[in-house]
Amino acid sequence: MDKETLFREISHALVEFEVEKVAELAQETLRQNISAYETITEGLVTGMKEVGRLYEEEEYFLPEVLMCSDAFNAGLDVVNPHLDKDSLEKPIKMVIGVVEGDTHDIGKNLVRILSGASGFEVYDLGRDVPLDRFIEKAEEVGSDMICMSTLMTTTMDGMKIVINRLKERNLRDKYKVLIGGGPISQTFCDKIGADLYANDASSAVRKAKELMGRA
Amino acid sequence: MLIREDILTPKERMMALLTGKPLDRIICMPIVTTNTAQLIGKTVKEFQLDGKVMADAHIAGFKKFGYDLIYLFTNCSCIAEAMGAELVYSENEPAGCDVPVINSREDLSKIKVAEKNDGQLPVYYDALEILNKEVGDQVFIAVCFSGPVSTAATLRGVEAFAKDTYADPELCHTLLRMATDSCKNFIREIVSYGAMPIILEPIASGSIFSPKMFDKIAFPYIKELVDLAHELKALIPLHICGKTHKIIDKMTDTGADVISIDQCDLAIAREKVAGRALILGNIDPANELLFGPVEDIHKVCIEAIDTMKGYTPAFVLATGCETSNKVPMEHIQAMLDVARSHGLYEYTAEETK
Ligand code: B12
Repeated sequence: MDKETLFREISHALVEFEVEKVAELAQETLRQNISAYETITEGLVTGMKEVGRLYEEEEYFLPEVLMCSDAFNAGLDVVNPHLDKDSLEKPIKMVIGVVEGDTHDIGKNLVRILSGASGFEVYDLGRDVPLDRFIEKAEEVGSDMICMSTLMTTTMDGMKIVINRLKERNLRDKYKVLIGGGPISQTFCDKIGADLYANDASSAVRKAKELMGRA
Repeated sequence: MLIREDILTPKERMMALLTGKPLDRIICMPIVTTNTAQLIGKTVKEFQLDGKVMADAHIAGFKKFGYDLIYLFTNCSCIAEAMGAELVYSENEPAGCDVPVINSREDLSKIKVAEKNDGQLPVYYDALEILNKEVGDQVFIAVCFSGPVSTAATLRGVEAFAKDTYADPELCHTLLRMATDSCKNFIREIVSYGAMPIILEPIASGSIFSPKMFDKIAFPYIKELVDLAHELKALIPLHICGKTHKIIDKMTDTGADVISIDQCDLAIAREKVAGRALILGNIDPANELLFGPVEDIHKVCIEAIDTMKGYTPAFVLATGCETSNKVPMEHIQAMLDVARSHGLYEYTAEETK
């Protein structure tokens, strides 16, 4: 199998969430001395992009995305040890969590998964996250972005509080603030002065990359 | 807005609907639940754990608004709790399950099929007993609880459960089976108090699973609950929040008597349910109803009534989901005001005789 066919097969197996097949094909790339970097970007990431598209079009839902994510990770586990770290761009770092008072985390997790699969370095704070924690963690890891999710109207204001606290501490310009979740809208985003809003995980990744000049 | 006082009691109105007699106005039941606790100065926690508080709170809510159904509901995890899950209770938030009990097949020994007196289920019976005595002659009472999918997913953790649908269907169906049997035990008990069981399935929502998966993991089990209620001669609504436009026909195929919807266009619902069930919905409790102003609430309620005009067997003006603690009481009143003005039917008292 030539390189291009191999990458296509990897993407295809990933989209069909054939975990073992993805791992086997990844082994095959190693045997053929194909660079791990290429396998990741041309095979695995391409596959996950397709998964994101299928999700956006409501062909795939939560279970399918989670299964594909497992297949992605299986492939990554095989090639990662052979990855020449110097070949990589410095990854964009993001801190993500569900704001205090809210425990709905399915949407946030999908954003984490698709961002992770697009090369972001993701720090997940989980759900019902105390507001100051977002800033603390971002400072600690030197994050580029702070991403907040909420599905409840009753907890939306937490996002604004985080932005205000960033301002108080003169940190506002240091981070891009991304927000999302059911009741969030572009209007709300503008109103509280966040940098970006997206209404699904797949467009969130696309827009985040654009925002960071990595489109 | 010209408001006419009700002619029928909520119970008479519902009976009129069920027996094909004329009604004085549209049936209206904003989903007012735990937020009634504030009317009597109690916390959400007290409401969830004490049947007397639950009943007193609901009596206060009913006296204040005179809506057409008393809707008992605490949280999405009460059946899971009765099966063995541990919930976290906080003063003013509904209880939830932080850590799933089932992390592997071995953990199945940690749960069981819930019997009628497990977990906090008896709180409902205490409340029902009081409510039947105090207001049972005026209004019907319902108990809403999470169905098989939402219960199984709570026991297992939503994401692990979602993966099991492909990776370990056997575990998935074992949990669904146990959850279904637990729900059945609860339904029998609810019906024995003369109350109406309402199936709630937030996790079977079209926002989370594909319609194909709904067929596999939700439909057969929900149908079993509907069939049981019908055997017991009870009506049973099915409520699914989130998106439902792609599964609303399947929801109706379960045989549920009332299809209760949240984010689904009423015109689509009307076409797909097509007279096979009552439609209940779908004023967003987290938008107009929360923020107001009252004029906007009037507007969306009037639009809903107009879209559903002439729909048989009936359209019930309701919220798409429960009204939270933060929804101002005047906003709930605004909904009932629309029912008592724009939602009026021509009616003369003699017609009942
Ligand atoms: C599933 C669900 C649950 C599950 C949650 C399981 C879990 N682990 O998350 C359970 C059953 C546990 C649950 C519990 C409750 N729920 Co609930 N739930 C839902 C439901 C049906 C679907 C939510 C969902 O998962 N959607 C699927 C995901 C994939 O979509 P998403 O979250 O929008 O995410 C996408 C985008 O928004 C975006 N995105 C998300 N985050 C971010 C972040 C960034 C930075 C970006 C860029 C993008 C982005 O990308 C995601 C992927 O595409 C909604 C209904 C609805 N209308 O949404 C109600 C809903 C959210 N729940 C509601 C309520 C009231 C509750 C309870 C309070 C009920 C109770 N009495 O117990 C509790 C919450 C307790 C608490 N304090 O947290 C209300 C909230 C109303 C309000 N006040 O605003 C809703 C809206 C229902 C309604 N119409 O009233 N719920």
